[in-house]
Amino acid sequence: MTFDGAQRIQLREKFVNFSNNRDDGDLRNELIEAHLGLAEYLARRFNNRGEPIDDLVQVASVGLLKAVDRFEPERGVEFSTYATHTIVGELKRHFRDKGWAVRAPRRLQELYLRLGKVIGVLGHELGRSPTVEELAKEAEVSEEDVLGALEAGQAYRFASLDAPALGDDDTDTVGSRFGGDDPGMVSAEHRASLSPLISELSEREQLILQLRFFEGLTQSEIAERLGISQMHVSRLLARSLAQLRQAASEN
Amino acid sequence: MSSPQEVLLRVPAVPEFLRVARITASGLASRVGFSLDEVDDLRLALDELCFTAIGRGLDNEELELRYSTSARTLSINGATLSAANGRPTVGEFSQQILTALVDEHRVWDDNGKNCFSLVKRSPAKPKNRTS
Repeated sequence: MTFDGAQRIQLREKFVNFSNNRDDGDLRNELIEAHLGLAEYLARRFNNRGEPIDDLVQVASVGLLKAVDRFEPERGVEFSTYATHTIVGELKRHFRDKGWAVRAPRRLQELYLRLGKVIGVLGHELGRSPTVEELAKEAEVSEEDVLGALEAGQAYRFASLDAPALGDDDTDTVGSRFGGDDPGMVSAEHRASLSPLISELSEREQLILQLRFFEGLTQSEIAERLGISQMHVSRLLARSLAQLRQAASEN
Repeated sequence: MSSPQEVLLRVPAVPEFLRVARITASGLASRVGFSLDEVDDLRLALDELCFTAIGRGLDNEELELRYSTSARTLSINGATLSAANGRPTVGEFSQQILTALVDEHRVWDDNGKNCFSLVKRSPAKPKNRTS
């Protein structure tokens, strides 16, 4: 969001005019349009939190409208500064009211990330998937907190499934994990019953479905095999199933 | 904790409330010593079955869940409360998923109420660490 000096002076004048005549709809529109880029930019900063970007831009635009209507140029604050506060406030409120994914207390989000490591270490020591009790003891938190954190980390929602979950590290691909071998895609016979829905999933998600549901590996075993955390497998599975469900219900 | 114990939960039949159903399930599962893998399996299976019962959500409808625990076993029975919701169906893939996730599952129609049940058992764990 950058304006050159001349534009800035022009806009400032327009804001002064507008503050003297709040009924000037054309001027209001012009001021709003001039700053839509700012709204969009700020909306994008809240992306990947489980809300569709279009919705976020919408929310940010509402914040922008409020900012334009309330801005008092005589106070000497730059409009962009003022508007940024208002827009971010609006976006935060949106998440607070609506998105439980973000609403999960920070404490639980952090615990979730920490648990990921503890699960790995403990799983190796025990040679099996740890129980919630063992995990709570190791992490020195209550079992309730463990369960709350696990649920918080997996706060996928029915309506928006395309957002990567908290702490997702979705950068490596199945291809990079396996040599030229069979990439382990869902086998043809099964694919027939699922396609085309399943082909919408990423290659890795397809592989995980195959390993868990058709070859009977546990989540821990899959995690081991793919070199990712059990939590990540858990999240990808939940997300894949939700996505398939969503697609199926739309058909 | 070998005698069966029961928890009853009634939630609006919309996806937003399945979280409560999942948390209850995982809480009870951890009480009877399920591993994380098993807890996760249970949650996925419960999700799947709840969605077969309520689809994308049923207006003015409730879903009742009855959880019972006994030694290393958790059973959940679910049902919509009023009749005339149509028959729940389990597709081929759902069937496959559920078979992989839980020991027993069933979906049926009780005079228009969508019902399901699942049972998951957790095999005894190897001894804890010596530390």
